[in-house]
Amino acid sequence: MAGGDERALGALYDRHGEMAYSLALAIARERADAEEIVADAFGQAWRNAASYDPGRGSVAGWLATITRTRALDLVRARGRRDRAMERAAQVDSNGLASTMGAAADPPDLRIERGEARRLVARSLGELPDPQRRVIELAYFGGLSQSEIAAELREPLGTVKTRMRAGMQKLRGSLAALLSGGGS
Amino acid sequence: MTDHQWSELAAPYALDALAPDERERFEAHLSECAACRGEVRELREVTVLLADAAPTATPPAGLRDRILREARQVRPIRRRRAPIVPWLAAAASLVLAVGFGYAYLRERAALQQASAALAAQTDSLAARDSLIATIFSPDVATAALAATGKPPSARLYWNPSRHRVVMAVFDLPPAPAGRTYQLWAIAQGSKPVSLGVFNTAADGRLTTAMDVPVGLAFEVTAVTEEPAGGSPQPTQKPFLQGKMAPAD
Repeated sequence: MAGGDERALGALYDRHGEMAYSLALAIARERADAEEIVADAFGQAWRNAASYDPGRGSVAGWLATITRTRALDLVRARGRRDRAMERAAQVDSNGLASTMGAAADPPDLRIERGEARRLVARSLGELPDPQRRVIELAYFGGLSQSEIAAELREPLGTVKTRMRAGMQKLRGSLAALLSGGGS
Repeated sequence: MTDHQWSELAAPYALDALAPDERERFEAHLSECAACRGEVRELREVTVLLADAAPTATPPAGLRDRILREARQVRPIRRRRAPIVPWLAAAASLVLAVGFGYAYLRERAALQQASAALAAQTDSLAARDSLIATIFSPDVATAALAATGKPPSARLYWNPSRHRVVMAVFDLPPAPAGRTYQLWAIAQGSKPVSLGVFNTAADGRLTTAMDVPVGLAFEVTAVTEEPAGGSPQPTQKPFLQGKMAPAD
């Protein structure tokens, strides 16, 4: 990648394009937007490959971070956050984690990614609803703690406590996927 | 704020859910607190994994071709190895500084000016990513650079795996016209090696990243004031100096 090899970019897309697109769609909620976001994100990864060392850390994580930021920027720029929030509010209280169980995995989905995804979905799904909700609103909605408090009409202190507790639980249940706690 | 209260901000920070002023204060604290840095490093990994909770969707068939087509029109940025013209180094430092600590808000205006000349490089996210990844790596070594306990001071993070240092400078007035500051890496029994030149903003602060020559190991870092453009070797005694210590 850092050498500007186009085949590397193609391989990067083959490996992570679906993850990036799924994430972009979960945030932007419109297919045309998700396509723009992913094209932007891979363009950015291509231009800045030298700033990242794929030998360390996870390339998927790097791409996910770029994609999420691009997606949230776009949602904010088009002033559609309110609409996105409305639709998010319409999703039943099981939130995003429950809908993914219903989505069939494409046959070519790599096994290790499938396993990691299942673990992440299960861990998120095992959180108490209120904790999962604040984490999803922060991650997929790009909302700050105060915005979440306003959205949920809950005291700010409650939101803070839930976010902290939820993240600590996730850290425990996802330990096998984390660099420090894999043992 | 007690240490315990600070650590409570690690989870919302990792989720980017702090208000801007809170985030700024916490980032200033992070540069001083190894425990919170460790906490943030782990929670960021958790955040990154949340991408996997998005329901699976299949990208449109033409997307791959489009990405490759667009890439052909842009040359990727190569990693900087050789010395380059100082103004470019300074401008690149501005780009890299964005998104981290106090430097963020104050340097955003300067960054916008630099962005015209460096359109392809103005990528705050990847820069912030790279900066954070450099600092938060488990094998990072740090040095506190000080002038006998008085201001100015600086803190240096050296990530040997990435061949990169990140430096945060405090209370250092900008160099006079025609002068610049220069950062040196010094290994025992060897001549100092320049890591690059820099200057602070009007408020005396700077957060910047510099490349370290591959294979270079050093025990001491120092800062001197040099003629604009920097010097091959220091021309004066360092006014800031610090010993590298293993990651705390």
